[in-house]
Amino acid sequence: MTNSEDSLTGLGRNAAAAVLVLSSLAGGDKHGYALVKDVEEFAGVHLPPGTLYQLLSRLEVRGLITALEADKRRRPYRLTAQGATVLAEYITAQQRILKTGQARLKRSWSFA
Amino acid sequence: MSGDAKATRRADRLLRWYPKEWRERYGEEFVDHLEQEFADRSVYSRRTLNIAYKGLVARVGDVGLSNATVSAGGQTRAAVGTSFVLMVFVAVLALNFWSRAMGLWSSRRYHPIPVSLTTGILTVTEGLMLVVLVAIVLTVVVSAARQIRHGRARALAGPSILAAASGAFLLYSVRWVPTELYRYVHGYHGRPGIGWSQPGPAIAALGQTAWGMTQQWVALWNEPFGNPTSYIMMSDLVPIALLLFGIAIALLVRRVELPRLAERLGTTIVTLLGTLTGVFLVTYVVWLEVDGPSGNESFWPEGARAGGVYLVLLELVSILVGRTRWLARSNRYSSTPA
Repeated sequence: MTNSEDSLTGLGRNAAAAVLVLSSLAGGDKHGYALVKDVEEFAGVHLPPGTLYQLLSRLEVRGLITALEADKRRRPYRLTAQGATVLAEYITAQQRILKTGQARLKRSWSFA
Repeated sequence: MSGDAKATRRADRLLRWYPKEWRERYGEEFVDHLEQEFADRSVYSRRTLNIAYKGLVARVGDVGLSNATVSAGGQTRAAVGTSFVLMVFVAVLALNFWSRAMGLWSSRRYHPIPVSLTTGILTVTEGLMLVVLVAIVLTVVVSAARQIRHGRARALAGPSILAAASGAFLLYSVRWVPTELYRYVHGYHGRPGIGWSQPGPAIAALGQTAWGMTQQWVALWNEPFGNPTSYIMMSDLVPIALLLFGIAIALLVRRVELPRLAERLGTTIVTLLGTLTGVFLVTYVVWLEVDGPSGNESFWPEGARAGGVYLVLLELVSILVGRTRWLARSNRYSSTPA
């Protein structure tokens, strides 16, 4: 297992939610509330505040995101280069799984 | 009260679920976030439950027992601190078990090899355990003293006073130990003394003294009749003093500026403590199996049930120490750039 993969699997059950946060930040810097709204829009998932801040804390400790200077009380977060690598590797692995699944469904079950 | 002020008060109240370090780092933005969520949906019990649960997880992480932590360095220090608190009790318990094993071994005329071997391993393991714990205490005390001398005493005042008071109480409770050892060395009541050049009798004497010292702590609130009230009160307070001492040192571990070497050795120390507890536990079970007690009660005077409880406690502690070590290591590893 590479270090990048370990960074996400080390988050256990929160790995899927971490991918949502990283994907949101891949589109630009965001503070907590903007992040929740963005995830709701592109994934249809609402991240409760406790879960969101636990994730932000863990991703920050792992160096996958970084906190920027606070604008009044709102602190934006930015995806780091390491975070982008981890996300890219994760998406590539998921795409491989999806393609395999799709191909097998098509071949054996005639799903388009 | 305006709607905004009410929302801020509600958010502040929810923030209290989290530990201090977390609140200092995320508090303001978290309150701001909640105020915006309240505007969307004022009452939502699942949100409250989510915050309460994650806040408690963060509190568990704050003492090194989950990886919900604000910093990787803090995680390692919390792991060392928590392991120390647990290990203080393990060391006392293990010292009591070892002294019992050593007493039984030295009273035998014939020493079967498995019994000698397991007693030897127990001796070395317990010795190493005490050395590591004493090294932690000395490192923390010296670092704290240096910091206090440089005028940075404020954050250390509370735990330093607690450590000094509980440590002094513990030392006072074992004030008879030097006299006892002196008697063993020089002989008393017609018994010949021992020389430290004879390791066998010397270790047996140490075992006897260690048994006397730890028995009053291990026999939790189970005092035999006939002891003076002051002695009973003193003995009953010792486990509490031990807990307070462990907590005080754990707090200092988190607050003092430790030497760089000590910082780097954090996870190694926790690994070592977990390993020593595991080895001690397994060896003690083997010692019981190879007839170490030699027909005597294994856990006199508390009996087999208390002994079983103590063994389960030892196992639980080694698992907890192992968990703190794993969490500290996984966070440190994950935070290393690829």
